[in-house]
Parts: sequence; C-alpha cells; structure tokens
Amino acid sequence: MKHSAVTVGLPRAMLYYRYRILWSVFFQELGIRTVISGPTDREILEQGSVLAIDEACLSLKIYLGHVRALVDKCDYILIPRVASLGRHRDMCTRFQALPDLVDNLFRNSGQRFLSYNVDLSAKRDEETAFLELGRALSAAPKEARRAYRTAKKAELAHHKARVQKQEQLCHQEGLKILIAAHSYLVEDPYVGRTVTDYLRSAGVIPLRADLVDRDAALKRGMELSPTCKWELSREILGGILQRRRDVDGIILLSAFPCGPDAMVNELITRRVKGVPMLNLVLDSQTGTAGVETRLESFIDIIRLKEGKL
Amino acid sequence: MEHAYLGVDVGSISTKGVIIDRENNLLASQYIWTQGNPIGAVKELLGLLEGQFDKTKYKIVATGATGSARKLVGTILGATMVKNEITAHAVGTTTFYPDVRTILEIGGQDSKIILVENAVAVDYAMNTLCAAGTGAFLSSQAKRLGIEVEEIGDYALRSTHPTQIAARCTVFAESDLVHKIQMGHPREDIIAGVCNAVAANYLSNVGKGKKILSPVVFQGGVSKNKGVVAAFERALGCKVIVDPNGHLMGALGVAILAKKGSKRQEFDFSVENMDFRTREASCGQCSNHCEIICVYRGDELIDAWGNRCERGERVH
Repeated sequence: MKHSAVTVGLPRAMLYYRYRILWSVFFQELGIRTVISGPTDREILEQGSVLAIDEACLSLKIYLGHVRALVDKCDYILIPRVASLGRHRDMCTRFQALPDLVDNLFRNSGQRFLSYNVDLSAKRDEETAFLELGRALSAAPKEARRAYRTAKKAELAHHKARVQKQEQLCHQEGLKILIAAHSYLVEDPYVGRTVTDYLRSAGVIPLRADLVDRDAALKRGMELSPTCKWELSREILGGILQRRRDVDGIILLSAFPCGPDAMVNELITRRVKGVPMLNLVLDSQTGTAGVETRLESFIDIIRLKEGKL
Repeated sequence: MEHAYLGVDVGSISTKGVIIDRENNLLASQYIWTQGNPIGAVKELLGLLEGQFDKTKYKIVATGATGSARKLVGTILGATMVKNEITAHAVGTTTFYPDVRTILEIGGQDSKIILVENAVAVDYAMNTLCAAGTGAFLSSQAKRLGIEVEEIGDYALRSTHPTQIAARCTVFAESDLVHKIQMGHPREDIIAGVCNAVAANYLSNVGKGKKILSPVVFQGGVSKNKGVVAAFERALGCKVIVDPNGHLMGALGVAILAKKGSKRQEFDFSVENMDFRTREASCGQCSNHCEIICVYRGDELIDAWGNRCERGERVH
C-alpha cells in the first residue's frame, strides 16, 4: 500500500461519535493519515461559542471549537454533509448545513476542507458519497470502494460489539438508568461524560438508548411516533422501547437548545409511562452543582421507591 | 443524656435549621435569610438554635445538611449526612404526612413536584436550569411594586379581579407586569395576577403531565404566600395543605436522614465562633481551568471541590 503525505483532520464532535470507525478505517485503508482533535475542554467550547451564532446548540458550538483546533494542523478537515438516509430518515439541519457553515466561517483561514454528501432524498447513498470522497483524495475508484466496504464492515462490527456490551450490562445486578441522548452529547468528555461519570460514582449502571440494533430501533420507534422524521431521534425512541423494562429510570439528556430533542423529549415524557424520568438540559455552565442535585435526587427517589436509601 | 439530631437547610434565599429528638419532636427551629452569605447565615442560625436548646438534657449525635449550599455547610458542620433537598423534602413530608400523594415545592431558585404512593416517592420533576416562577421572581416583583415579599399574600387575597399576567416565562411575565402597571391596573390585582402566574407557570412547567392527586402538601418558602396557595387551590380544585413547619421540611427531612444514617459524630456549637473562609482557586493544569473552592477553618484547609479531575487536587 502506498502512503500519501496527505493528512485529514477529524473534529472530535457531532457525527465523529457515530462514524469514527467508518472514517478512520476508510482513510487507513487508503494510506491516508488522520489527525483527531483533542477531547473537548473549556477552551474548545469557548472558541466554538465565539464562532457560533447565539441560537446554535451547545453541540454545534463544541463542533466549531474542534474545527478551529484542527486549522493548520492538517491538509484537510473532514466536514461531511449527512442530510437524509431515506424516507422519514432525516438528519438535523445542522448536519445538512455543516460544510457550508464551516466553509463560510473559516473562509479566510487558508484551511482546506473535505466533504462528502449523503442524501437519499436526492438518491445519493453513503457508498457513492465515499467513492467521491476517494476521488477527491486521488484514490482509484476500485481502491476507494474496497476501502469503504472494509470500513463499513468494521463500523457495523464495532457497533454490534457495543450493543452486546449493553446487553450484558442489562443483565447485571444493580440500579440501571437508561440515558436517552445523542452519542455526541453523552460521550463528549466535557459535557455528557460528567453525567455518566456521576452515575457510575453513585453505583448506578448507565445504559444507552442509542446503543441498540439500529434497524430494529428505527422500526420500533414508529410505535411511539409514526411520523418522527429524525433518524437519530427515531433510533432513540426505539431504544427506549427496547430497554425500558430492563431499567429503573430514564434520563432524557439534551443540549440546549436542540430542536429535535425539544420536540421528541416532550413526546417521550407524554407517551412513555410507568418509569421515573429525568429531563436534563445541558448548557455551557461550568458549574455542575445543578446537574448533580438533579442526578443525586433522581437516584435517591428510585432507591427510596425500592426502600434502599 | 438523650440523643438529638440537627438538620440544616441552606438555600439560595433562606437558611433553616431544626433540632429534633428521637420521636421527631422539634426541640429548636429557626428560619433566617441567607443574604448571599451561607457561612455567616449558618453561624447566626447555630447561635439562635443554641439559645432554644437544652444542652443539659440533650446532646446532638448526628447532623444533616441539605439545600444548594449543602456541601459547603456540611463541611463546616462536620455533617454526618449530606443530602439534596428533594430527597430531604420527600423524607420530611412523608414522615409527617404518611398519606400525602403530591408534594408541591417552590423555593428561592428551584421548584419541584414529588408524587408519592404509600409514603414512598415514586416520581418527581424539577424545574430545568431556568428559575422561572420561583421565589426569586416573587421577591423581585415585590420589590418592583414597593411591598415586602411577606405582604404579597394579603394583597393578593384582597383582589377581586386578578390581572392576567403572561406566565410562560419570567422574562415575559415581568415585561407584561410592567406594562399592566403602566396601564393602571390596581396593585392588588397585579399582585394576585403574579400569584396566579406563579401557580400556572409551575403547573405547566414542573407539573406538566403529572397526575396531581389529593392530599396535596405545598411547601418551600413560597408556600407562606397565601396568594399562591389560593391560586393552587383554584387551579387544582382541591385543598392544598400548608404545614406550619412547611418551610422547615427540608431541614426536618435531613435531620431524620441523619438520625437514620449510620454515622455518629457529636455536634459542638463552638463552630459558630470559628473563623471559616472560602477561596476560589483556578486550576491551571489544563485548559479546563476548573474553579476550585477551598474551605479554610482558620488557616487550615479542611475541604476543596470543583475540580473535574485528580490533577486539580494539587491546586489549593
């Protein structure tokens, strides 16, 4: 395999948490080096907040901070456009707008960006998009196809392994709380991770609504809402139905002001009954006291119910 | 010597303390304003409690701290139990009202609803990080209208035509209120409108989707406001119980929790004469720049918190 001197930067935010295996294996297969921005910290959030408009959600602010951190550190930064994965399978408008948004914000930086466009509503599937991505990096079409298929296989295997890990946790003894959140929020080390860390330190097993079999979850999600058009939300809806009998409580974790969550979490609180639920909205506050009070009391209430406080 | 238990609840607006005996009888109780100085308030509180307390007959064997300053106060008091205020309120209320089904609570910056079945909390909700419709809103509106916050209830009950105030968001409520004042609505009608807005706001935000069953117990500082109580009774169509000690329920709950807990540590009132201070240190170990709070007794560092990782433990 020939190694090119090109390096591609991957912002550690948003869809990175969903596609990191797909991306890293694809580039690795093509002999292209990748650089990943560091874990989110206060500086990244602050830099991103300066770049974003006020109405942007916390996750987008974090994303822009990661892009900023990669400028001048690599030849290209990968900013994909993932718009639609089929009927009733749209992505949040942020993911449709990212390449244009970033291009515009960093137009004077001299940084080059790389993109691919997945939009099933315009009959552009993921494989086609990755072939074009390969072409942009001067890879032979055959090579790019092989790299994509290897990467896709690795991604599916990785996800399957994570789902199996969740199944095991489901059968463990102890208090279990399901977190319904986007992967890029719950896995972000500066924001969402504080929630899972706290739960673990309190002796609770955190489970994830988004770590389930995706096809099955998409179908089951229809039971809660036949018209919900957001892919990631539908997965979470299905994940909740799949896991609710295994858990003692559900935390709806959302980044302020997430559009899809504002609607879908309302739907969840109205339609999922019989299980304690905590609605937690994270903003860029540095203090964690408010969040801890809510988590601590939520756990107490569940334990009190079981007479174990 | 008989055993007694101290419970202290330091909220954003008020500081509450109780001492109870084994049977949960009140031996001493006090309610004062926090005035932005939780350490000073606790010391003052202890002085007042000490005056009501028979030290020859009882000794305090366990201490609980709750409220938003529970960590700080727990450190200063050497508390054996530090618990969040929701749990403390649930425990306190179900001890005194075992048949309660719904607990409404509105404090200075938080509001919550706790649903109870068979004396056990089964569900609850809390305001999101926004403080809309809490005591802080009422006191700032009282100030705007030139009356004491304690007088709001009496004014509200005198009104026959409460003014409609937009209730969804405090910011909108406030601008609506200013507009209504300028339009010439009588003061008591506006105050009654504010009370209705607090109740309506609570029911549509915190109480949203919750089945509110009777008996309903209302507590927290705002429960002392007769106007809001009347507004809740109208909106819910049932009697709303306000315990004379409702404002002390968090302190009572945490005292009971301290009693039930396994730790024992005799409490010494001399802390009220000790010098405590806090200092904020910024950790420079990484770009998170965590704000670490260090608590000193005299010159001795007794506790610190606020760091996100273990690197912050070196910064004191």
